[in-house]
Amino acid sequence: MEEHMALLDVKNVKKIYTTRFGGNQVEALRDVNFSVESGEYVAIMGESGSGKTTLLNILAALDKPTGGKIYLKGNDIGKITEKEMAAFRRQNLGFVFQDFNLLDTFSIKDNIFLPLVLSGRKYEEMEKKLEPIAKRLEIEEILGKFPYEVSGGQKQRTAVARALITKPQLVLADEPTGALDSRASDELLTLFSDINADGQTILMVTHSVKAASTAKRVLFIKDGEVFHQLYRGNLSGDQMYQKISDTLTVLIAGGAGNE
Amino acid sequence: MSKKIYTRLALTNIKNNRKTYVPYILTSVLTVVMLFIMHGLARNDSVGEGKIAQILMMSCVVILIFAAIFLFYTNSFLIKRRKKEIGIYNILGMGKGHIAKMLVFETLIIAGISIGLGLLLGMLFSKLMWLLLIRLINYNVRMEYMVYGETIIGTIVYFLIIFTMTLIYNLMQIKLSNPAELLRGGVQGEREPKTKLFLTAVGVLLMGAGYYVAVTVESPLAAIQLFFVAVIMVVLGTYALFTAGSIAVLKLLRKNKKFYYQSKHFIAVSGMLYRMKQNAVGLANICILSTMVLVLVSTSVSMYLGTEDMLHVRYPKEISVRIYGTTKESEDKIEAIISEVAEKYHVEAAEQTRTHYAAGTMLLSDSNMKLAPDGNYGEQDVREIYMIPQEDYNQMTGENINLKEEEVIFYTTNEKKYGWKEVQIEDKSYHIVKELGDMWTEPKDDDRIVEGIFLVFADTEQIEEWIQYICDHSDMKEEWVQNICRMRYETGFDMKGEEEACALAEEELVQRIQNEVQEAEIESREMEKREFYGLYGGLLFIGIYLGAMFLMATVLIIYYKQISEGYDDRERYQIMQKVGMGRREVKKSIRSQVLLVFFLPLAVSVLHVAVAFTVVKKLLAILYLTNESLFFICTVGTIVVFAVFYAVVYGITAREYYRIVK
Repeated sequence: MEEHMALLDVKNVKKIYTTRFGGNQVEALRDVNFSVESGEYVAIMGESGSGKTTLLNILAALDKPTGGKIYLKGNDIGKITEKEMAAFRRQNLGFVFQDFNLLDTFSIKDNIFLPLVLSGRKYEEMEKKLEPIAKRLEIEEILGKFPYEVSGGQKQRTAVARALITKPQLVLADEPTGALDSRASDELLTLFSDINADGQTILMVTHSVKAASTAKRVLFIKDGEVFHQLYRGNLSGDQMYQKISDTLTVLIAGGAGNE
Repeated sequence: MSKKIYTRLALTNIKNNRKTYVPYILTSVLTVVMLFIMHGLARNDSVGEGKIAQILMMSCVVILIFAAIFLFYTNSFLIKRRKKEIGIYNILGMGKGHIAKMLVFETLIIAGISIGLGLLLGMLFSKLMWLLLIRLINYNVRMEYMVYGETIIGTIVYFLIIFTMTLIYNLMQIKLSNPAELLRGGVQGEREPKTKLFLTAVGVLLMGAGYYVAVTVESPLAAIQLFFVAVIMVVLGTYALFTAGSIAVLKLLRKNKKFYYQSKHFIAVSGMLYRMKQNAVGLANICILSTMVLVLVSTSVSMYLGTEDMLHVRYPKEISVRIYGTTKESEDKIEAIISEVAEKYHVEAAEQTRTHYAAGTMLLSDSNMKLAPDGNYGEQDVREIYMIPQEDYNQMTGENINLKEEEVIFYTTNEKKYGWKEVQIEDKSYHIVKELGDMWTEPKDDDRIVEGIFLVFADTEQIEEWIQYICDHSDMKEEWVQNICRMRYETGFDMKGEEEACALAEEELVQRIQNEVQEAEIESREMEKREFYGLYGGLLFIGIYLGAMFLMATVLIIYYKQISEGYDDRERYQIMQKVGMGRREVKKSIRSQVLLVFFLPLAVSVLHVAVAFTVVKKLLAILYLTNESLFFICTVGTIVVFAVFYAVVYGITAREYYRIVK
């Protein structure tokens, strides 16, 4: 292993789905390689069907790759047993989903507490952890409400709070702005940039150019492989936006040309 | 569009929804069968005398009401689940008229299958049921069983009405909502339930009061009056506690932060809160139905099995003859007939008792007896008084007691002894020479409807004076007074000898006494036996029959609950896994909740039955079933059988549930 260790290392990951009766095989991921350094904010882009969701599920350990390895802080995720997996996920990963995935039976506060309660933390400790996060995400007012009583933006901020409260190594976001209006989207993306500036590593899957343009690095996936990547460097948001758009045009045209 | 398309659409719909429709159709078929058979039996002349026919007809009404409520309930559940599907049809371009037509065809098909199959099975099994009933009631008629046209037509018409009503309900549901609402149909009302403290308090009070009444009721007479009050209180209390009480308790648990924020309780408490909101009424229904099944079956089984016991309590002697206004002449005539018949059949009238007595009611306060009360029998201090001359006492006991005029011998049917030295009858006081521990007339029995007090007097004259006093002060009807005002005579005995000879002798004895001694009343245990078995056999039949029906309802409700729970839980199950709950933990947590939800009604109904036990025991005592251990065994047996059945049903439906959640 190299001297320098990346936070997340994805090596030759492959995923083949076999249809139910074993007839057809669909290759969702062919050979994916990339790594994420601690403190990075990475967006993964691709068309629908390009395999991004499959990739995210594998990174989240919700699905197993057919081949290849994934290292989180040098630990091979594939070697974690089924029993330890839930705890591993809780301690190391935070999730933000497109459709929020809040439980309607819990209040906003209890939704945020869920991973901590599952880890067996004390109530006082949880309260202490919640306070700064709730303040930061501006959800103090709605803590006692239920998911059906708050707006989409508030729901997503709740989900972010739930992801952050365990202080995870890595936050995985799956199309986080997908169900939000443009104002709520902007707020959420600003929030992502802010928490990233505080040192939180974020890996986001999206097909929104706007969302991707807030990231520090963008990976493009096509036909199950990392096709290209862009670094933001010193570019402004608009410039980044333009660059991503251009890349996507090439990506699609290239795709068309290959057929 | 043509008829063919609608038929095909309707058939496809039913097929696609078979998970919910097959049980529905099955239930409809069974309900048709049950009504058909019951009505057929009630109408049948071979059982159509008196009590049994009445009981059968009453059960028929129960089934009628039940069928309507239950099919309606199930239907409303089904249509709620299908709203989304119908919304899609609507959006894809089917007008509401078309949808209505489709629903009409569906209903026609379901009604056709249910009624057709139901009648067919009904005809097949009604003979069998008839034979079973005849057997249970020990009826010896050789009559052919036949099905009346009235039953067939009645059943068809009734179920057509029910199905039409459900159709109208469904059409209203479709008509009143727009496609967008229909599409949302399945998922609605996920609001957090409110705490209803008042309703909870009412529930606790009702249930507590019902239980209190049931447990504390002393006399069987009061038990009759209070039983239904207690039942209604407990039923209402059950509904209130299941709906409001459960939520209040769960919210209380949630308020306790130390308890609530533990991984085991966290998910269970919030999940249960949500489940109880959706299922409380259904669970209360299950609970009440289960209780009904348990009480119905356990009592009818114990009454049937206890028939012999009841006969022996009610008729301590095989034959007893009673004469109101007795004369030496009639008594001699009876004795003569008894010995003639006994000789003829070579049997013996064994352990014969002969008692002259007068009887009336009185009010007892301390040792003061007030004769001829104003006929207010509800009061606690009403007693029956029996007055017997010492001549009979000496003869029956073989003692040689010589009472003075102001002396009596005292005996009460209550199990305790009073130990009084004196009693006061009106203004005359009597010295009690002794209080008997038992007496030939009647055994001690606390479950006697009204306590009986027996007094042995020095001579018949005194007794006659007292009855005269009662007569003069009585406001009862003339013919009753006539009976009271005279000395009665009762003789009872068992038949000993060959069984067949005894039966013949008994028959002839009854015949002859009825014909030759008109003033006498004769009761024969053997004769009453038929009546008893007829009644209790009939009750057992009904108990099991209705019990089976309620059980079917319980099963169906459980099944539908599982299915709807499954669809609701599916999403939650997935979210929890994403957020970091292990698959096994999720499964464990859901299983424990589901277990709790489904076994709570059973547990509560067992509690109900346990409490009801004391009251029902008293009611059974009125019917002369005093064999408590028999009743206990029957109750426990019924509960065990029911619980096993319940668990099996749960197991089967739980599998269906996990299939959905996966």
